[in-house]
Amino acid sequence: MKVSYFETGRYVAPSDMPREWPVPSGNYDAAVGTEALRGMVERVKFVEALGFDWISLSEHHYSPRILTPSPVIAATWLAARTERIKIAMLGPIVPVSNPIRIAEEMAMLDTLAPGRIVIGLLRGTTNEYLSYDLNPTEARERTDEGMDLILKAWTEPQPFGWQGRHFQYRTVSIWPRLQDPPPPTYALGTSAEAGEFAARHHIGLGVSYGTFEIMARATSYYRERCAEYGWQPGPEDIIYRANMILGETDEEAEATLLRRDRQGAFPVRPSLRDALLEADIKRNVAGERRAQPVGGVLPISFCGGPDRIVEQIRQCREEVGAGILDLSLQDPGTGDTDAMLRALELFGRKVLPRIREI
Amino acid sequence: MTVQQGAFSEGFVEADGFRIRYMEAGQGTPVIHLHGAGGMRLTQAHTLLSRQYRVVVFEMPGFGASPVNDRTQSVSELGSTMAGAVSALGIERCNVIATSFGARVALWIALQEPERVLALVLEAPAAMRPAGHQPPSGTPEQIARQLYAHPERAASMAPVDPDVQAKQRALVGRLRGPDRDADLEARLRDLAVPTLVLFGTLERVIPPDMGRHYKTLLPNCQLVFIYDAGHEISTDRPEAFADVTADFLERHEAFVINRKDTLISP
Repeated sequence: MKVSYFETGRYVAPSDMPREWPVPSGNYDAAVGTEALRGMVERVKFVEALGFDWISLSEHHYSPRILTPSPVIAATWLAARTERIKIAMLGPIVPVSNPIRIAEEMAMLDTLAPGRIVIGLLRGTTNEYLSYDLNPTEARERTDEGMDLILKAWTEPQPFGWQGRHFQYRTVSIWPRLQDPPPPTYALGTSAEAGEFAARHHIGLGVSYGTFEIMARATSYYRERCAEYGWQPGPEDIIYRANMILGETDEEAEATLLRRDRQGAFPVRPSLRDALLEADIKRNVAGERRAQPVGGVLPISFCGGPDRIVEQIRQCREEVGAGILDLSLQDPGTGDTDAMLRALELFGRKVLPRIREI
Repeated sequence: MTVQQGAFSEGFVEADGFRIRYMEAGQGTPVIHLHGAGGMRLTQAHTLLSRQYRVVVFEMPGFGASPVNDRTQSVSELGSTMAGAVSALGIERCNVIATSFGARVALWIALQEPERVLALVLEAPAAMRPAGHQPPSGTPEQIARQLYAHPERAASMAPVDPDVQAKQRALVGRLRGPDRDADLEARLRDLAVPTLVLFGTLERVIPPDMGRHYKTLLPNCQLVFIYDAGHEISTDRPEAFADVTADFLERHEAFVINRKDTLISP
């Protein structure tokens, strides 16, 4: 099992900060923001020294909860300041982006940090469609087409045009190109569309924030589709991003779980959330319709002391099939960075050496 | 003699002793279409193009209801016959769209009479094929899955009579030539006719990677991928096919310049 640390750019928000998304920009404190983003380097060096294989970054907007609206900028900064650890962008939000820009930036970063980057192509959480003014009903199709176009831009050696449904280009011919071999690439999501796309293009699948049982439905579907296309994905073709509460003992971890906020850090207001969910109708797990949690609290998939966590990871490997765990230790967005660093250290010392063979 | 079929009228024209059927609609600069190995079929793309162009869709001799064609000896000869058919319609210069098998015929027309061809559009061309390439085979359903990304969009088309199919298959088998025709390819290096090559991203008959060979060989070639289309692009995505084709026929290489309005309100 390989392990990744999910770096969120930890902005420590004061308790009187408005709690609703979008959080007013005027509440931003430049000194706190600078410390949060510059502190990424220290945290990434810390997990690199602990033996983590990857760090991951994501794209989120308009809130201090995750302070990386551009994961590629964060990745570039980190790649230049660390030595070995792989940097996974999980990922650029494809439907709100220019796919050619994504293709170019990934190729550029892959050239600057060969062998160090991992690429995830993401549909994005529903509230992010408000950030860049995307019609939620088009998000699914724009993601599928955008991913197809990105792969074509990476591989086609001759200048080409693209006559799509949502994207049209008449001249594409990117420089620089990806390294050979290209970086590991994943479609991110539990949907039938993500599984089908990943299977058809022989790339990996990344799933996140669900129970083992639900994630297993998505990864089983992916494996079935891969078989249809005549190949078999390995454990490293499946990423599982999840929250973990790790304590010295099971009791300590459970006590932390009990103290946890029942409310997401900066939720969209309920009326808007409901309207968004109603508009974003194509969410599914392996083809079965299922709304995405928006603004709610994300589940804790692993909780316990080291022994129990090792067993849970073994169970996860068996049920979900994931060979890469992308972890938030304790809770992202709680702002308690010291608690997170302590848990990471404990993970590196007591858990990591015991899960390598899983 | 003409018979109405939708907006298209049926007609016949004589060339090289063949009586050649065609369907025609629209006014403006002529666009002729040479079909693939499966024979002539009208699609919505023809109708869309006929709003701007005089569209003439030929049925090449030996296809459809025409008698067995055992006289034509090569695709270049077939090209010469089809150029004669165009002349017989009183058309001096025209655009040529060609599909799959028809692409080699169209390229030979352009090589033989380059001054008469305003521009070429090659839909999923089979003029260059990977070594050992086999045409689609199997049950009608299996063949449909190879030809179309969206077989349901072809469902309304009448099935082709098995005898006609056998006749067409024999003719195509005789004329299809080598997978890579060195003589043709050598000549293509000097073909200045503006050419647009289209491949679907879900193409399963000819690997869409073949598109890059046209781009490399032809001095004035544009390659465009049609997202979510298979081999039969104009059936899978007729609007996309007609849109990019009409834009290219109008502007040639300048079609790379975007002129879509994005102003939301003044």
